[in-house]
Amino acid sequence: MTAATDAGQDRAQAAEQAGKAGKAEKAAVQFFAALQRRDAAAALETLSPGAEVIIYPTDQRGGPEVARAFFDEALAAFPDLLLTIRRSRGFTDGRALVELTFEGTQAADFLGAINQEKHLDIEQAWVLATDDDAITALTGYWDQNKLYRRLAVKRLDQIAIA
Amino acid sequence: MTHTEVRSPELVVTAFFDAYRDRDPTAMTDLCTRNAEFRYLPVEIWGKQRVIRGDGKVYGVGKAMWAGLITAFPDLSNEVVSLSANPDGTVMAEVVIGGTQASAWAQFSNRGRAYSLPHLFVLHVNDGGLIDSITAYWDNASFSRQLGHLEVD
Repeated sequence: MTAATDAGQDRAQAAEQAGKAGKAEKAAVQFFAALQRRDAAAALETLSPGAEVIIYPTDQRGGPEVARAFFDEALAAFPDLLLTIRRSRGFTDGRALVELTFEGTQAADFLGAINQEKHLDIEQAWVLATDDDAITALTGYWDQNKLYRRLAVKRLDQIAIA
Repeated sequence: MTHTEVRSPELVVTAFFDAYRDRDPTAMTDLCTRNAEFRYLPVEIWGKQRVIRGDGKVYGVGKAMWAGLITAFPDLSNEVVSLSANPDGTVMAEVVIGGTQASAWAQFSNRGRAYSLPHLFVLHVNDGGLIDSITAYWDNASFSRQLGHLEVD
């Protein structure tokens, strides 16, 4: 095999990986764009039925029903919810990262915290795995302590007491 | 003339967490540029006069924070669960960090408890093979609970 052939194969592989990364990022951004439009159904349609969902700060894990419950509760608790994407990236293994700010004014109980009409702004990171256009895994990271602080929760063993 | 091969971003980040596992903040910072950005988003300590955040430079806030954490948790270790790279040099690492508390750390007095906590790191490696930014996410509520503290602040 010639050096020219090797270089050609490297370029083709790099192009394939870049394409995979770009596709993963697009799927991830579209997922959160649908949530920003308050269209949880459209977002969740892109989750495959066997998707693994882990939300570390709420200690929830399971299938798409976990994501549905979380985002339904978020949209109900924050009627003015604003999801601002700070950075997104796709990766050559088909995974994607979305770093966003989750912001809004509380209008109903949320994750056990009673409604005191507090403003919440919290930095979140979501890791998604994709296979073609389907999202096959979704993992959420943020600091739940900061979230409780914003919602005026005083103790971790008394979330519902202000 | 010698030619030094620049390591791939994945290898640089792997070496970074190897150095962290070796509890060697100097080796960690040696893998970073002198002005590398540092953002530990959960760090937000409310004092009477001001709020201390985990924002700054690796060679300032970052190295001091790693050294302090290693002192407070002398058996501190980590397990890299996943590593993904983007062609622009961004590397995403899911890492479980844990250890046993031996002395006070930030607002947490020592109760001799151990913790194990999933973290997400987003790092960027420049063309020269050095890390020029580090951002991290984790859940401090879980960290507090595991160390035996239940006050939100």
